[in-house]
Amino acid sequence: MKTVVYVSPFVPQEWIAAHGLQPSRVLLEHTKRVAIAQPAAGVCPFARAFIAFGLSLTDESAIVATTECDQMRRAAELLAGESSAPLFLLNVPTTWQTTTAHRLYISELERLSAFMVRLGGKAPTKEELTDVMLRYDALRAEIRGARGSLSGRAYSEAISRFHREGAADLSAARAAPLARGVPLALLGGPLTGEHFRIFDLIEEAGGQVVLDGTETGERTLPRAFERRRLHEDPFPELADAYFGTIPDAFRRPNSQLYHWLKGETARRGIRGIILRRYLWCDTWHAEVQRMKEWSPAPVLDLDVGDDDCESRAASRIQSFVGMLR
Amino acid sequence: MNDYPRRITLQEWDAHYVQLREAGMREPPYGGTLRRHVEEGDLRLRTLLFDNSSAALRLWNFLLTEEDRLREARTAGKKIVGTMKDLGTVPVMAYALPNVVAFYPDGAWWIPCVMELSEGLFGIADSLGIDEAFCPVRAMLGAFITEAHFPVPDLLICSAGATCDDFSAIAQRLNGLGYPIVWWEIPHRRIPDPDEERVELPGGFAAPASQVAFVREELERLRTVLEQFAGVPLNDGALSAGIARANEVRRLLAELRQLTFTAELCPLPALEMLIAEMLAIHFCSDQAETIEVLRELLREVRGRVEARQGVLEADAVRVFWVNPVADLQVMNLLEDCGGRICGTEYLFSHALDEIPENLPPMEALARMALADPMVGSAADRAARICADTRRFGAEAVLISRIPGASHCATEGIIIAEAVRSRLRIPVLEIEVPPLSDSIKPMLRTRLEALIETSKELRKTCCVPE
Repeated sequence: MKTVVYVSPFVPQEWIAAHGLQPSRVLLEHTKRVAIAQPAAGVCPFARAFIAFGLSLTDESAIVATTECDQMRRAAELLAGESSAPLFLLNVPTTWQTTTAHRLYISELERLSAFMVRLGGKAPTKEELTDVMLRYDALRAEIRGARGSLSGRAYSEAISRFHREGAADLSAARAAPLARGVPLALLGGPLTGEHFRIFDLIEEAGGQVVLDGTETGERTLPRAFERRRLHEDPFPELADAYFGTIPDAFRRPNSQLYHWLKGETARRGIRGIILRRYLWCDTWHAEVQRMKEWSPAPVLDLDVGDDDCESRAASRIQSFVGMLR
Repeated sequence: MNDYPRRITLQEWDAHYVQLREAGMREPPYGGTLRRHVEEGDLRLRTLLFDNSSAALRLWNFLLTEEDRLREARTAGKKIVGTMKDLGTVPVMAYALPNVVAFYPDGAWWIPCVMELSEGLFGIADSLGIDEAFCPVRAMLGAFITEAHFPVPDLLICSAGATCDDFSAIAQRLNGLGYPIVWWEIPHRRIPDPDEERVELPGGFAAPASQVAFVREELERLRTVLEQFAGVPLNDGALSAGIARANEVRRLLAELRQLTFTAELCPLPALEMLIAEMLAIHFCSDQAETIEVLRELLREVRGRVEARQGVLEADAVRVFWVNPVADLQVMNLLEDCGGRICGTEYLFSHALDEIPENLPPMEALARMALADPMVGSAADRAARICADTRRFGAEAVLISRIPGASHCATEGIIIAEAVRSRLRIPVLEIEVPPLSDSIKPMLRTRLEALIETSKELRKTCCVPE
């Protein structure tokens, strides 16, 4: 079975699975970068890692890239010409408040379906899609339910593994409540495999991530499916659960992100926000100061460059958590 | 009375202006010396070289008095729309309304250059968290805050989607500061699938019919917004008339570009051509006057071409320029090094191509919007650049990176590779900050190398495919 790989939360894994293909929202490796011919200044490290990953693939896999940001859109263009894996560029609208934007997203999923059929997949019937959606929805509910019994890192890794492999591995869950440090939110773009270490750094400093608002974490889980709508017509419900509700900085306007963050901050008693962003990521970079002005809780701006310096990050996190304790 | 065409300094313009006035030069109400703009803070003019024609003087004065025009429009009861990012589409709609003026706040990106950082706009952007990692268009934020460079528009409309991240993020920051924005989606233009209906766009690109239909719907939404804003209907008849007026500007520019870029002797300097091209995107807040300014400029250029007069050496190397420069002085520098501009792609070639007049107006505008070189792939853009380079007979391509701009990180590589492989002519990529004085020697060296290489290649008679 061909694997369809992607990094965007706006690619519904159910849609791929329902076509009989293996969805995998991969974790990139930060240290595995590609040297784009000079000048590479200005290229986001995550986009570079994505290019490196795409170049390493064979035609046993297919790539679904998306348009949420200019750099990834252009990375897809570079990959389309160079990677051995077939590539599909899914146009994810930036605007979301209009019916035209929703319709565009739906039409893009339909185009993705045609792409997957060309790869050897089979377009699902309503019943087939419903079954797959119910299965994934149940797994997500299981993961959400385990939040209080997993450490911040284990919870985020469980989400990431679910995205990557479609399985809910909650073996690390404990019955007893976990010891808690200063409750923090981790916010920002996607993590790479190496970057889960940040959860440890935070705990070592006396904090605890109680809200993973990175692109890799719970922020980008689609909402639970509405059963009535699901049984009436699963495809629009699938599209709405993803496109209609996942909050992100790239959306215009991005008020959903602040609305979501406000609610979760209050619910979870968050006392500080760590905003982790890649160098040259304009989308998250532009939110830093606004977030500081908006948030009642202090915000730490943590930038991640090509040469990730853990000691610098650890030092900044220690100071931040120390201030909050 | 015009002297032999040449580039002159601001100081020379002082005396030349007096001579022109004594010789009977008639000026529009916004006319006057260039020197007065320096006194108002446009310090960069002191270091630039200008064309010495009265037509060029009118062009400069028209450009540098836009703020006055916008304030006069407000005083006269007109409504002001700030159109952002799409560079050419929404103003065509706005100017189809009788009581609306549209302009691009994006244009503030040149203020730090023109005022030589004396205005403090970057400092304000810094304080809002938009630092030098972003494109110089971040100056726009400061201009909104100070209200010293343009009146705050009554309505803001911004395209989002397949745009550069810098601008999108900065516009969102503006929105977060409490400035309401009507967002509209411009999707990434893709190559139509084999089983999809294909639509040819102005400028030679193609898009799936479904994408054109989507953009048309988005523009219909904006039509409603504009109608409610202006309080008058914006019917197809008015839109068609608006398109016809926009096309008049585009036809004048097309002739100006064709004459200037292909003449044996360069009849108009690069700087004036850059400004003239910029008029296409929003008519410098006065569409009728734009037409008059361009007509006079075109008369001047026609006269010079007929008289076989030029402003540069006859052997100047013909250079195609990609992306606008943050520091205007670099356009002079290219000419000082022995180059001349023969073809441009300043990110808004869709604002230069004629809008189809044989289609329903919203369909025509949708096609134009999708022809934006920035919403498609870099390969598409490179193809257009190669075609235009060939068309104007340019001998080299110069890619001017915009500091911090998200698209510049990778597209220069693709464009350069396409030019080298298809045209086999030299390509140079430079980065130009808003004030390039500190790196001017380095820029000069690189430009001179490009010119020398191109001249050497003349000996081998390198003919592009």
